[in-house]
Amino acid sequence: MKMTKSEDQMLDDLFALGRGTAPVPSDDLMARILHDATMARAVEPAPKFSFWAGFRDMVGGWPAVGGLAMAGVTGVWFGIAPPTSVASFASDLIGTSVTVDLFDDTSSFFAEASIDG
Amino acid sequence: MNARLGSWRDAPDYAVLLAYANGDEEAARVLSLRLVPRVLAQATRMLADQAEAEDVAQEAMMKLWEIAAEWRQGEAQVSTWLYRVVANLCTDRLRKRRGVSLDQIAEPTDPQMSATAQMQETSRLTALANALAQLPDRQAQAVSLRHLEGLTNPEIAQIMDISVRSVESLTARGKKALADILAARKAELGYEDDKI
Repeated sequence: MKMTKSEDQMLDDLFALGRGTAPVPSDDLMARILHDATMARAVEPAPKFSFWAGFRDMVGGWPAVGGLAMAGVTGVWFGIAPPTSVASFASDLIGTSVTVDLFDDTSSFFAEASIDG
Repeated sequence: MNARLGSWRDAPDYAVLLAYANGDEEAARVLSLRLVPRVLAQATRMLADQAEAEDVAQEAMMKLWEIAAEWRQGEAQVSTWLYRVVANLCTDRLRKRRGVSLDQIAEPTDPQMSATAQMQETSRLTALANALAQLPDRQAQAVSLRHLEGLTNPEIAQIMDISVRSVESLTARGKKALADILAARKAELGYEDDKI
């Protein structure tokens, strides 16, 4: 159902009446709002506790964390694939390399047990 | 202080808000003088209740102070953001009026008008606000922004974060629903066919 002309005019008149409403903010309202502004700035959010932020600060900031990370990665890489210079340095330092076969005796023990059985 | 206010004259709202967030004492005053009259007017037009409108204005400005430090330039204009906040706060309050008698009339406030004229104007504005309260929130917001604030459909689309087509649909349905609600009170509000 469409609006009748009179209903349309009534609404237009009511809207015009509303648009004509232009209240002036009272001094009291402005004072309350400015008080809020002062209070809102005074209340700063509490810093959130972060384990990583605490750790980072403890070791000396991001540069130190970067150095630690690089050292860790280098250590892992040397463990997997040590450069020849590291291997020769180790043999120079220790003097000789010793190979220990942990399973050799055990294997013969099992072999004998098998024969005896 | 006037010299200080003058120095802010051409600064956009977000720049003054940033100054407030950085501790400038005058920035809050500048922003309040600039924004509160419009915020209060929007709330008064939607609610037709001075005390409630003042509460909404204070609440909306409080939200602005709280968000100042996190305000990201370019995301939205301060005025657009405030239109949205005030519209939401007003529909929250209008929702509580549902079920309240449409006859409930606020106290007249303008001492310059004759008592009869003032009573009629107040009753009309209150009837409009109470009829808005009967609409779904989005319809009430779209209708008030279009017909009470006089904004364009693209502006309303930006404020409500919807398409222009949706704004057109909401305002058309909202206006029709308002007419239906108010039709029964036409004579009572002084809108008999020959008196409009």
